[in-house]
Amino acid sequence: MKNIQKTIRKTVVALGILLLFVACENHLEDLYDNPNAVTTIDDAALFTNAVRSLFIGTSDNASSHFAGQHAHYYVAGSTWRAPDQYGDGFDGDYNSIFNGLYGGTIRHIEEVLELTTAEGTSNKVRNAMAHIIAVLGYAKITDAFGDVPYTEGGKGKSQNIVQPKYDTQESIYKDLILRLTNSITILKTADPTMGYPNSDPIFNNDLSKWIRFANSVRLRLAMRLRYVDPGLSEATVNQCLSQPLMETTAHDAFMIETEGTGNAWFTRRTGFPSVKVSNTLIDQLQGTEDPRLAVFVSTNGNGDYSGMVNGLTDQAFGSSDFANRSDMGLPLASPDSKLYVITAAEVWLLRAEAALAYDNDPVSANTLYRKGIETSMNQWEVAAPEITTFLASPAATLAGNNDEEQIGVQMWLALTPNFFEGWSHIRRTGYPMIPIRTTDNLSKGATNGIMPHRFNYSSFELGSNTTNATEAINRQGANKIDTPVWWDKN
Amino acid sequence: MKKIIILLVAIGFSMTTNAQKTISGKVLEKDTNTPLLGVSVMVKGTNKGASTDFDGNFQLQGVQNEDIIVFSSLGYLTQEVTVDANTNLTVWLEVNAQKMEEVVVTALNIQRDKESLGYSVSQVSSEEVNVARENNVMNSLSGKVSGLQITQNNTGVDGSSRILLRGITTINGSNRPLVVVDGIPISNGGGGGSAWGGVDRGDALSDINPDNVASISVLKGAGAAAAYGSLGMNGVILITTKTGIKKEGVGISFNSSFNTTEVALTPDFQNEYGSGAFGAFAPINADGRPVLDYPFSWSWGPKMERQPYTNWLGQQATFSPNSSADPYKDFYQNGYTLANSIAFEGQSEKGSFRIAITDENSQGIIANNTLDKQTFSIRGSSQLTENFSVDGKMTYITSKVKNRPQLGEGSGNTALQLSLMPRDIRLNDVANNTINTNGEEIKWNLDNTFNNPYWALDNAGNFDGKDRFQGFISTKWKINNAFNITAKSGVDYISYDYTSFGERGAVAVSNGLGSYNHDSGKSRIWNSDILATYTAKIADFNFTGSLGSTYRNESSSSLNISGNDSKTPNFYRISNYKNSFSSESISEKGIYSYYALGQFGYGGYLYFDATIRNDHSSTLPKENNSYWYHSENMSILFSKILGINPNILSQGKLRGSYAKVGNDTSPYRTQAVYNIDQTVTLPYTIGSISGSLPSFDLKPETSESWEIGADLGFLNNRIQLDVTYYQTNTTDQIMAVPISGSTGYSSKVINAGEIENKGYEAQLNLIPFESDNFQWDLGFNFTKSNSKVITLNQGLESISLGSLWTASVEARPGQEFGTIYGNDFLRDNFGRKIIGNDGLAKRGDRVALGNINPDWYGGFTSKIRYKNLTLSTLISAQVGGEYYSYGRGYRLFFGTDQRSLVGRETGIIEEGINEHTGFTNEVVASAFLKQFTDIFANEIATDLIIDATNVKLREVALTFDFPKTMLRNTGIQSASISAIGRNLFFLYNASGDIDPEGSYSSGPTSTAFEHSSLPSTRNYGVNLKLNF
Repeated sequence: MKNIQKTIRKTVVALGILLLFVACENHLEDLYDNPNAVTTIDDAALFTNAVRSLFIGTSDNASSHFAGQHAHYYVAGSTWRAPDQYGDGFDGDYNSIFNGLYGGTIRHIEEVLELTTAEGTSNKVRNAMAHIIAVLGYAKITDAFGDVPYTEGGKGKSQNIVQPKYDTQESIYKDLILRLTNSITILKTADPTMGYPNSDPIFNNDLSKWIRFANSVRLRLAMRLRYVDPGLSEATVNQCLSQPLMETTAHDAFMIETEGTGNAWFTRRTGFPSVKVSNTLIDQLQGTEDPRLAVFVSTNGNGDYSGMVNGLTDQAFGSSDFANRSDMGLPLASPDSKLYVITAAEVWLLRAEAALAYDNDPVSANTLYRKGIETSMNQWEVAAPEITTFLASPAATLAGNNDEEQIGVQMWLALTPNFFEGWSHIRRTGYPMIPIRTTDNLSKGATNGIMPHRFNYSSFELGSNTTNATEAINRQGANKIDTPVWWDKN
Repeated sequence: MKKIIILLVAIGFSMTTNAQKTISGKVLEKDTNTPLLGVSVMVKGTNKGASTDFDGNFQLQGVQNEDIIVFSSLGYLTQEVTVDANTNLTVWLEVNAQKMEEVVVTALNIQRDKESLGYSVSQVSSEEVNVARENNVMNSLSGKVSGLQITQNNTGVDGSSRILLRGITTINGSNRPLVVVDGIPISNGGGGGSAWGGVDRGDALSDINPDNVASISVLKGAGAAAAYGSLGMNGVILITTKTGIKKEGVGISFNSSFNTTEVALTPDFQNEYGSGAFGAFAPINADGRPVLDYPFSWSWGPKMERQPYTNWLGQQATFSPNSSADPYKDFYQNGYTLANSIAFEGQSEKGSFRIAITDENSQGIIANNTLDKQTFSIRGSSQLTENFSVDGKMTYITSKVKNRPQLGEGSGNTALQLSLMPRDIRLNDVANNTINTNGEEIKWNLDNTFNNPYWALDNAGNFDGKDRFQGFISTKWKINNAFNITAKSGVDYISYDYTSFGERGAVAVSNGLGSYNHDSGKSRIWNSDILATYTAKIADFNFTGSLGSTYRNESSSSLNISGNDSKTPNFYRISNYKNSFSSESISEKGIYSYYALGQFGYGGYLYFDATIRNDHSSTLPKENNSYWYHSENMSILFSKILGINPNILSQGKLRGSYAKVGNDTSPYRTQAVYNIDQTVTLPYTIGSISGSLPSFDLKPETSESWEIGADLGFLNNRIQLDVTYYQTNTTDQIMAVPISGSTGYSSKVINAGEIENKGYEAQLNLIPFESDNFQWDLGFNFTKSNSKVITLNQGLESISLGSLWTASVEARPGQEFGTIYGNDFLRDNFGRKIIGNDGLAKRGDRVALGNINPDWYGGFTSKIRYKNLTLSTLISAQVGGEYYSYGRGYRLFFGTDQRSLVGRETGIIEEGINEHTGFTNEVVASAFLKQFTDIFANEIATDLIIDATNVKLREVALTFDFPKTMLRNTGIQSASISAIGRNLFFLYNASGDIDPEGSYSSGPTSTAFEHSSLPSTRNYGVNLKLNF
């Protein structure tokens, strides 16, 4: 009897152990899949993400901390003012800007490009739209840093490239233009239902607007080459002019960020460190009685428009009465203010510049110039009579003696609040003129008083992609903020 | 007639001599008469045997007269008894004074004689952790065990500690040792804030109640820990909790301790110059207050000479030094800890039990930072049948912590605020002016980072609740004397609820809108194992073999809700916020393992152990998810072989160990997925891809280690020396390598790199004096441990392991692990600084500036007993090692540090050569611009790298054991009272005014960075123990 009991007990134990192991084997299979995410997705969700990143990017650190101050739109308070002093001690910022640009738009649009060419999910129309977003994403990166990884950039997942080689800005620009041309060709005959009917936050899948958008971006890139490759620049401009371009504010590429506290400029305007409008901008608007003054600038506590001088030394800053200078205007910096990537106003002004540069046609240039000003004012909902008044003023007419500068200054105004583009525009054209800082009350920074020309590659990038980054520095010039990028000849 | 009777009795005796009979009896401990459990009772030369039960009873059948019965038990002298007519024996075993301490708990809770082990083990007794009691039991081990490095953060009550055993072996792993409580591996996660703020929510080990600890074993190398598989790769800390034992008296023990915490070390502040810049006052704004922004709200104004001025509130005041030079001493208060514990225990023939309750209350040096914790524990065991016993434990811990202090750059870090506030500001004014009529915070500086510390005390806070359950059920089935099976299942379950909030009115809190955050979640580790053990002894050859299997499951889930823009004041629930966000995540991982262990002993002087184990982990790709390890350990007692006189060389042992251990990773790193972003207002679906690239062909990482050592005892073990040399190479490390952002991603999980970790450990114990009334024990321990990065991934020059401002700890091939890199000054070929025409130095290259690893560290313990008084002292030492203090950097360029007085009036002539002329620099620069430019604008780290060398008087305890005569008729069996002090002061501190342990987190490289940490503290108190 006892023996039988023992045998039963042993069998039970043995069976128990066996069951335990079998259960474990199956159990492990169940634990393999990540329950917090999905393994397949409609590329539309990633496309929307990339597009949104692109627009939110116009208020990113590169724009708000650096470009807005470099381009003399405003001056930030406290230690946020250091870039305005032309300093370069921003290794961490350079790194987060670099990583942020690739990790936002590029990471997601590269995946869309993969999915829209992969078997089973391939879609030419979506692919063409995605290329346009990719072009805008890469253009900003190369404009900020110069030579950057492009052909191998953003391929960490798709091609397992962990240390991508750098491409020259020249080759990048040429390819960007090509990609836009291809996209335009495809979109012209595309079936809209194959696009992003419910996932396009810019034009709600209106492909004719997408064609204008792509063509306008191409025009911007073409003009960027004006001083470095005039042949390609002119040929591309002519190509652009033969296709529809953005013409009215209805064609503008904008988005309103609604999540959280909305437009980042809202919190920046009132938060810390506060931002005060530059006297360069206020003087320009006041001097020409430009009605956009009330749009771009708020009055201070005394009801005055009072601008802040860029580049003051710490000592001079102390007595600058910073706190009582003008804030940014509410139309730029409210929670529901629009974020712009490219506008019709910019396109008219690019065309005005092209008419002068390539057609030697000051008459059309003047027409296009006035159209640009008018469109910009429409964009900010300036009242019609005020527009008429301004268009009658000398500032709204090219007189023939200073046309390039007039166009350049109007472009600088029209690009507000796309401050990063404003900085690129000044770097390319030299307008508005930002004088070299020589007086004692102005900081000379790391550039001897010259407006910075690029961002530095970060020490993290130099450590994690050493060979390729070093090669780029050897080709492009010292890793300094006063080393101009390829297209920057002024 | 009488003679006949005698004859008959004699015949009867001689008849029984040849007959088999049954002998029963009892085994007691000599002197105490305590029954001894589990004593082996064997008939010599046979394998007939039995063992004693809970009451010390045994029964042995089939014994003949003149058989020799051997009574043996670990820790006692073996005794032999020859069988005679007496069939009921009482045997008293004498404690083996030399061997008593040598019984150690090893892997899988197997008790072993220390001399049979081929690896290094240190055991710490309960006294050492529960006399000078610490909230976090791990801190009590600091300085006591060679190879163990514990860094206690100053992060408020219930803060976490950094724990390393034999240094760092993996680049990405936590490197924290496994902690096993009563055979169940528990959660051992770290804690801490970040450079940018946050709070330290403590680590999983702070819940172990020191009052319940019976002993702690530290298994140092992988050789010791291979039985735990990958979990034991960083060593194992085995904690054995108390079980019920039979005691004299009722069996109630009471332990009460109270100690106060006071601020011990604070930065050196200057008290001569007040707010302003360039030696002048700040301009006055239209609102009548001075400019409260960089640089005017810093302490670079005029000398404070009682002149009239407008203070930060816009009031007319006298510009004079503060009455106290140290704002920390004015702001922080004394804290306290009160812990009471009562335990009831008993033991009977059939089983034992112990019930204990502990109540613990603490208040930190910030008055509203409190801890309130209760621990309930029940332990019971029962001998259900002769062959079948069960043992079980349930521990429930509930704790509430309020207002954990914000750390680092956090806008609520009081230490940061106090250390940077201009020196003319009166703390009274700050306390009395927290909110203006609009309900907005009144600040002394506009910057979000710098706030009114009293505003934060009143209007921002956090509340943590944590409930934890730990328990196990274990059964043992003794099939026969040689073969038994144990099965055990245990769980460590944590449920937590963390809320934090900031009232409306501070720009730092959601831009003035107020914010709320609520995290809740649970985590569970469940281990179940079964182990079959067979023991055999053939002649002089002993063998124990075990086969086992374990299943381990780790699961966790968390839920977060957060909101901003509050509707009504002083109400912290999500419904009160206009914007709300939420997120959730779950994670689960499983590992099952099979293993075999064998122990061979020969002649009592040669031992060999081997382990082989196979794990399957759900975190690795299916094709690579099985991995093997093994370990071999050997121990030779050469003193026994050579027959050396034990009075001279009482112990002579050589040991060696080799182990190969594999390791898995965290869940879901081998799968590419898309996240669906939570959006509230967008009419679109947003999908996103994580910045961390998965690896589809991940393999387990491998760690190979070996150690050799010797344990020597001289003069009857009055001198004992243990030395060990070890080396560990970890290859194919699984790590998320930070990769160039231009890949589109921030990191990639790969197998790469090799770290070599090697070092020496030594422990020397001395008994200089020993008599009945007086004994002096001395202990020294020494550890030198170095980790070197042999390779990283091909083409990868560096992996950043953490950074603060622009200093970072990086792993670079060929360099020591934990090297701190930062910007140096620009220098010429002779190392001279190159100075610009403005008299300021320039930024140079990023170079290695220091290393976190000490050259060596160790401890010194002394225990002097005179009659009933015992004085124990612990001194810990760290020599070498550096850290980067951005806290000091801040105080320097804000002008509050005493060091910032240099050159205030005269300016500073930087030593170096002019960049254009090459001549020695003669340009005078302002002291303010020098500090600001070097540290902030040029991000130069060189001057902020600080030597971490220190010697600290860590523990002093004076204990009085009440003599029995005093306790007669009180019902008290024994009693003791101790006066204790912990972390009393530095005997030497190369950092001067900073505590080198002042880190904000407890990760492996956390000691590299200090940023405005809370002041370090010292404790004094009393501890009373009563046994009824």
